[in-house]
Amino acid sequence: MTKLSTGKGISGSAKLDAVIALVLIAAAVTLPFMVESRYILGQIVLALFYATIASQWNLLFGFSGIFSLAQMAIFAFGGYATAMICFYFGLNVWAALVPGAIAAMVFSLVVGLACLRLTGVYVALLTLAIAQAMYLLIVTDTECFVMVGSICRQFTGGAVGFARFGDLGMRTLLKGQWLVGNYAIIATLFTVTMIFTYVVVKSPIGLAFRALKDDPAYAIARGVNRFQAQLLVFGISAFFTGLAGGFYAAHFQAIGPGVLSMSQLMFIIAITVVGGLGSFWGPLVGTIVLVLADELMREAGEFRTLGLGIIIALSIVLMPKGLVGRIGDLVRFLRRRSPRSAMGPQENAALTAK
Amino acid sequence: MLDIFVSIIVAGLTTGALYALATVGLSLVWGSMGMLNMAHAAMLTLGGYVAFTASTSLGLPIGLGFLAAIVAGAVAGGLLYVLIVSNLLRHDKSTFESNVMIATVGIGIALENAILLTYGGQPLKQPLSVSGALVIGPVTLPYQNILIVAVVLVLMAIVALLLGKTRMGRAIRATAQNRDAAQLLGVAVNRVYFQVLVLSGALAGVCGVMVSSMTQLSPPLGNDPMLKAFIMCVVAGLGNLPGAITAAFGLALLEAFVQFVAGARWGFPSLLFVVIAVLIWRPSGLFGRAQIRRM
Repeated sequence: MTKLSTGKGISGSAKLDAVIALVLIAAAVTLPFMVESRYILGQIVLALFYATIASQWNLLFGFSGIFSLAQMAIFAFGGYATAMICFYFGLNVWAALVPGAIAAMVFSLVVGLACLRLTGVYVALLTLAIAQAMYLLIVTDTECFVMVGSICRQFTGGAVGFARFGDLGMRTLLKGQWLVGNYAIIATLFTVTMIFTYVVVKSPIGLAFRALKDDPAYAIARGVNRFQAQLLVFGISAFFTGLAGGFYAAHFQAIGPGVLSMSQLMFIIAITVVGGLGSFWGPLVGTIVLVLADELMREAGEFRTLGLGIIIALSIVLMPKGLVGRIGDLVRFLRRRSPRSAMGPQENAALTAK
Repeated sequence: MLDIFVSIIVAGLTTGALYALATVGLSLVWGSMGMLNMAHAAMLTLGGYVAFTASTSLGLPIGLGFLAAIVAGAVAGGLLYVLIVSNLLRHDKSTFESNVMIATVGIGIALENAILLTYGGQPLKQPLSVSGALVIGPVTLPYQNILIVAVVLVLMAIVALLLGKTRMGRAIRATAQNRDAAQLLGVAVNRVYFQVLVLSGALAGVCGVMVSSMTQLSPPLGNDPMLKAFIMCVVAGLGNLPGAITAAFGLALLEAFVQFVAGARWGFPSLLFVVIAVLIWRPSGLFGRAQIRRM
């Protein structure tokens, strides 16, 4: 009985998800024709990066319950790896993207191995420390690795980072309209990431992730392999995060230690929390809301970070399930109220089970 | 040779004392409430700046400046309970651990930024510091370092007495051991939470004054000690006070030694390496006890 109703719930939501996805794709295709301003389009590309990173953090924490704070470190690792492959081996950016993502994945697997015996806040502390150590080692790197002209260049690029190692090729292809080309690429990246994430979340592996999150002891007792599942989720999320890092470096034609700063990590956490932890559309909703709020707060200038901090704290206190959770509550409330909902108890059960 | 050795020891002991103070504040809150206070760094910074304002703008004597920092930290801790923690405790208990962490991250950013907006980003000199040094033969001991170690030892003794001898301390320890049992036996658990956060805030205030007297006042002042304190908590096992103090001094000495031998930039990564090694060997910390969970 329960199995039947939850099964129905999932298929019902799959239909809804497909509709949402089609509407979003249609919107994404028409967007470059509607938006004239380069600034706005540039901000939208940036927002797509945030949404991609947040969706992978959501996979790691929201769905699998692994509170990793190394998300931006993995993103930076992918970006740096891509930039360094281009810079030191003279490869085309497109050829360096996948190796960069794989490097980020390997890094993440090592982090995952170190975290394997830990739970909860211990994972958070260790990953935060790893990210900080990476930042410090890059910023304090002053030893010359190669000489570029008369300028000394450190192996990690030091506090300046890497620039001018190539781009996505849109400038030569589309000339003045290159930003639209980059937008199309990043939007495709985001779409592919979301589709893959959806498949993972709905697959048996995704159920194993969730089981481990809800009750590790029971999940293990029922035969879920924690070692395998945890490494898998670290690997999957890191591949897409690292890939996004590579595209980020290629889009801005630069990568520096700034992406490792605490405020960037907080922005990603804020996006996921405001949108809704553990909900598939949460990171996207969170990105739209927070990027808009951020743009509005730009008027307030220096109060931006202050406002962001307060938004994080307030939204976790007022709506622990995020905006998507609140919308879900509202929809359920309205359905229960409306006379149409004289449906069978089965369907009501399906709705509440969701 | 001897003077180099002594200066490493002095530097290690002084930073160890500071780390111990930061660690105890964190560990106390974790041990009794299961709450990781990410706003601890900002509370540290707040203490340092309040002491600065009290003794420069208001011209209060040094003792009162110190007191102001303690009061500011305690008030911040109290507000944190009233505004955030008490509300989060009403939600689902299973999500409290991660929710409170994210919420305090937000509060920490907001507080640090508020300090930046009020005082500006340029480093300021902490007036609550003493100059001069005690010279014994080839060994030089700055008074500031002696003062820090002394103050920390006194505070540790006070905290130990509070926890060991008073009614409040018994309630805190009971809550830490078993929250539900304590509540059944009539301990007002919510009041205990409030007291613990106020106490930890006050300790953070003092710690902020001490840290800034060794370096300078700047808005991200508390971040470095807090990150190190996290590491020490993890090594010792979260919530274990004597273990935390031991780990703080031990790791600070190690850091000072590595910084001298291999250069300042390897201090932190070497600490990290130790932590990872310890965690792989003993996942609940050196002094932590593995918990057996019933299903």
